[in-house]
Amino acid sequence: MFSESMFSVDAGYLEGLARGFKGGILKKTDYYNLTQCETLEDLKLHLQSTDYGHFLANEAGPLTVSVIEERLKEKLIIEFNHLRTQATGYLAEFMDYITYSYMIDNVVLLLSGILHDRPIKEMLAKCHPMGTFEQMEAIHIATTTRELYDAVLVDTPLAPYFADCINEEDLNEMNIEIIRNTLYKAYLEDFSAFCQQIGGTTAEVMQEVLAFEADRRAFMITINSFGTELLKEDRKKLYPACGRLYPGGLEMLAQAEEVEQVKLVADYFAEYRVMFEDDGTGMDKTLEDKFFEHEVRLNVRAFMQQFHYGVFYSLVKLKEQEIRNIIWIAECVSQRHRAKIEAYIPILE
Amino acid sequence: MGDLFRSQEMTLCQLFLQAEAAYACVSELGELGLVQFRDLKPDTNAFQRKFVNEIRRCDEMERKLRYLEKEIRKDGIPILDTGDNPEAPNPREMVDLEATLEKLENELREVNAYAESLKKNFLELTELKHILRKTQTFFEEALHDQHMTEEAVGLMTEEGMMAGGQAAGLRLQSVAGVILRERLPAFERMLWRVCRGNVFLKQAEIDTALEDPATGDKVLKSVFIIFFQGEQLKTRVKKICEGFRATLYPCPDSQAERREMAISVMTRIEDLNTVLNTTVDHRMRVLMAAAKNLRLWFIKVGKIKAIYHTLNMFNVEATNKCLIAEAWCAVDDLDKIHLALRRGTERAGSSIPPILNRMSTREMPPTYFRVNKLTSGFQSIIDAYGVASYREANPSPFAIVTFPFLFAVMYGDFGHGTLMFLAALWMVLREKQLAPTAKLSEIWATFFNGRYIILMMGAFSIYTGLIYNDCFSRSVNIFGSGWSVRGQFNQSLTPDQIRTQVRGIESLQLNPNDAQAKAWRANPYPFGLDPVWQVSGNKITFTNSIKMKTSVVLGVIHMLFGVFVSLTNHLHRRDMLSVVGEFVPQVLFLLGMFGYLVILILYKWAVYSGRNSNCAPNLLIGLINMFLFRYDKATNGCPPIYTGYQGLQTFLVLLIIPCAPWMLLVKPLILRRRQQMLARGGAMMGHQQPQPQMQPDAGVDGGDQTELGMGQQQDGGNNIHDGDKAVDMGAGYGDHGEEVDIGEVFVHQAIHTIEYCLSCISNTASYLRLWALSLAHAQLSEVLWGMVLAIGLKREGFGGCLALFVAFSFWALLTVVVLLLMEGLSAFLHALRLHWVEFMNKFYKGEGYKFEPFSFARAELEM
Repeated sequence: MFSESMFSVDAGYLEGLARGFKGGILKKTDYYNLTQCETLEDLKLHLQSTDYGHFLANEAGPLTVSVIEERLKEKLIIEFNHLRTQATGYLAEFMDYITYSYMIDNVVLLLSGILHDRPIKEMLAKCHPMGTFEQMEAIHIATTTRELYDAVLVDTPLAPYFADCINEEDLNEMNIEIIRNTLYKAYLEDFSAFCQQIGGTTAEVMQEVLAFEADRRAFMITINSFGTELLKEDRKKLYPACGRLYPGGLEMLAQAEEVEQVKLVADYFAEYRVMFEDDGTGMDKTLEDKFFEHEVRLNVRAFMQQFHYGVFYSLVKLKEQEIRNIIWIAECVSQRHRAKIEAYIPILE
Repeated sequence: MGDLFRSQEMTLCQLFLQAEAAYACVSELGELGLVQFRDLKPDTNAFQRKFVNEIRRCDEMERKLRYLEKEIRKDGIPILDTGDNPEAPNPREMVDLEATLEKLENELREVNAYAESLKKNFLELTELKHILRKTQTFFEEALHDQHMTEEAVGLMTEEGMMAGGQAAGLRLQSVAGVILRERLPAFERMLWRVCRGNVFLKQAEIDTALEDPATGDKVLKSVFIIFFQGEQLKTRVKKICEGFRATLYPCPDSQAERREMAISVMTRIEDLNTVLNTTVDHRMRVLMAAAKNLRLWFIKVGKIKAIYHTLNMFNVEATNKCLIAEAWCAVDDLDKIHLALRRGTERAGSSIPPILNRMSTREMPPTYFRVNKLTSGFQSIIDAYGVASYREANPSPFAIVTFPFLFAVMYGDFGHGTLMFLAALWMVLREKQLAPTAKLSEIWATFFNGRYIILMMGAFSIYTGLIYNDCFSRSVNIFGSGWSVRGQFNQSLTPDQIRTQVRGIESLQLNPNDAQAKAWRANPYPFGLDPVWQVSGNKITFTNSIKMKTSVVLGVIHMLFGVFVSLTNHLHRRDMLSVVGEFVPQVLFLLGMFGYLVILILYKWAVYSGRNSNCAPNLLIGLINMFLFRYDKATNGCPPIYTGYQGLQTFLVLLIIPCAPWMLLVKPLILRRRQQMLARGGAMMGHQQPQPQMQPDAGVDGGDQTELGMGQQQDGGNNIHDGDKAVDMGAGYGDHGEEVDIGEVFVHQAIHTIEYCLSCISNTASYLRLWALSLAHAQLSEVLWGMVLAIGLKREGFGGCLALFVAFSFWALLTVVVLLLMEGLSAFLHALRLHWVEFMNKFYKGEGYKFEPFSFARAELEM
């Protein structure tokens, strides 16, 4: 209670900004208009009438989807950094935590790039700008996980998460995935613990969002592991233990051998049961899309409460989803593939 | 005044523009800025409209212009602003303009690309130069510093032993390069970790900042050289260097080679410098030429874009030869618009004249006031509350006087008023020079835009300040006070002697009834407050009584005036029902209660003086008793306030009481009657719907049908014979063509009645803020005088000089900050409230929307 009454002293202005940015999120009608576009130029014209404004106005030459994506991400980064540079104390740390997940993605992306002998410059361009860190570009000196840790990650905030995957094995496709999931597991558990440490509404709101994130990972790991050589015991080690599935659900998931068994596990949890059910509308949404939809719902709900840090996390996630949506529509428009253009995930009414 | 009292009469026009001439016509109308176009295709997306390609071309041109502007600003070249306003170019010229800009942009990009590659080259050479210079010192140090070489040797042997005794065959290798200074610590740390400490890094800072060729920013860099052994380490080191974006340069091992290289680098740098200079000169010339025209181009492109945006709102006729537009404009401006259209047609060289038809519509037209510099400030105060409904009485012409006056009643002090007046006068006299600065700061812009309001407020404050006889809380004795202490002293004393005696006395009483002392000379101070009150002990009691009563008098007059303005609204709509059902009871109600009170106040001032003051009645108690019909017999031997007052007061109460049901019932009941009669009439006509019949009727009504239509629109037309319109009238805001629920009318009328009756009482009380604020202001300035300046004035001698200096500066500062700014703002807000709430709720609806004409000047302002 006391922390909430003092919340606005340090974070009130920033919360206001975050809510303002959230107000700029595209609405249903905006998406409707975007899907009507014939060319990318049309898309640009419509985006000009939204909060994105003239973010594409100074682009010379023909517009491409990658340029749009770059600019969209750049806008997100500018907004995020604007908030981050003014944040202090717990909020600053909290916002750093948000970037860690992007750092994990970048590390894994670069590693798989190295495995396939792709030039590092090309891979760097694909990295999410939110998760850049200083040592990132030198990552290609690592050939084993130990080297990766010793040389690159030891100075980054990811170092403690990495402790579990150090071994002398050479990097290969399989253990890159394991690295990703181990890092994520450690990250989610740490982030969750951090939020509990902050306490109050933040803990309450973030608990829900992070629990879902953890469970989603558990489900996806299980489903993706079918037909690979991943052992059940190893798989079990990858499940983040901060979700609603923990501990009983994870035990059962660890035993699953096919999708039907995963469904059985999900049946025990009302909110996950619907994800695995065929909703019968004929719209064949993928499981991933359903998860995304649920994530959006949770993140929108985070804005219902005041005086907590969850809005910053949710803002980033919603913006990210919005970028995915715009890019999806832009791809559909540029490839003249209109049949699936409606398959974006609406955020606000 | 007439223009400001009711908004301009507007009409909806339909324009048929020939496709070729449309551009020129809209351009002319844009210069004119008197027409508000309606979007005829509100449902279409921005990119589905006709001229979307032209707009894209404009966007592209704007992008190029912005690019040019950025480059020009980067080089610090001034952009010429001649202040002239070019017309929108023809569509044909647009192509030329595009070509010019395209050429310029390409040229500039080429020059920039060339310059960038040159600069990159230059940067590399400079870095190499620094490396050679710094490594020279490294090697020299190594030679001189015996200790270090020993260590290096030690490392070598140790390393050699580990490698299996091949030390003799191995040589130390080195890599030299340049890295951003801020990345150096991380770089060093990673090198150490990856190579397990088997490298030796030496670094030195480059003192001068180097220019990054891509962004043009200055960056600080460091030179480093790394020594290591073996090929494997070499690849690793190189990878790390690459990862940290360090640029590596070849660095020969022997000193002679290094010197040779340094010399060749120096000559190449010099060569490059001359080439670079010519490139920069060329770039300068290109930009200088562009800077001359840049502003004109911006305006031109902006105008073209605005025209096409407007054209996009038009309908295209089926044959594609003609564009159809709908627009609002003032009836008085039609001639000017015709003229502009003709000019446009001539410019386009078209033979077919454009057609402009007036249309009749049931839609509410926009509200358009022609304002000038002075009235615009007051109009914006009113607009902030709500834009006037079409053709409804506008309070702003009255506010020009009443607003500063009510402000001044609260702020009355002619010292502060003069300061305020002078400040505003300065802004008004120098408005041309100051206008550009208003864009810089929002707070300053607020003051600057309100300069005429402040001027008026200052002037009125001087006036009320003179009446209150208050100047920085001191009074000025101009005409000589009507009171005297002379009679209480020995007549033979000189004035100076009396003065010294008075100083010694704690308090003196001036009793006007004491005939012997002759304290009251019976010649009242001719203008304003007698200065003697300033020094009297009962000053507050006296001024309170006066100010409180003045507030009530002013308030009741102000409100009564508001009710009479509502009469002009009713008459304007020829709405006799509202006059009878609303205005008359409202006036009776207000006059019977507070009008009577005002008369009593004036009467009491006139009749009661010092002699019979003990008989003066208490007005407030009197007013309450009037409603209780309680008249006390015991009058302590005083005569009643006037003879027959009991009868008059009883009559007034009996008059007021029926006013409430009158307001509540008369109008809705008559409306219901009319509706019933209409229904009966409809039944007789064989259940025909009256609605469809009405529509064409209104259409062919001829010349003033718009006027008529408008009347209905706002608040129910007039007492026209047909029932349909009468029903509308009841609804007040009702939509057309709908049967109005009479119950709703009752509810609405009930709310209105209750609001009026209660607000009459609460509003009158609310005007007492005039007294409260004025009291607060006077007290505050007195405190400031007594606590700050008076301290400085009381001292004598040199110390007193110094004390006065300090006290005065402190006092002046507080006067400006607290009394001028803070108190001024507070009085301003209260004056604003008295207008918005107490005055305007008597008549003002404020449900209109603003007329926003298509105008280039306006578009430019927004830029």
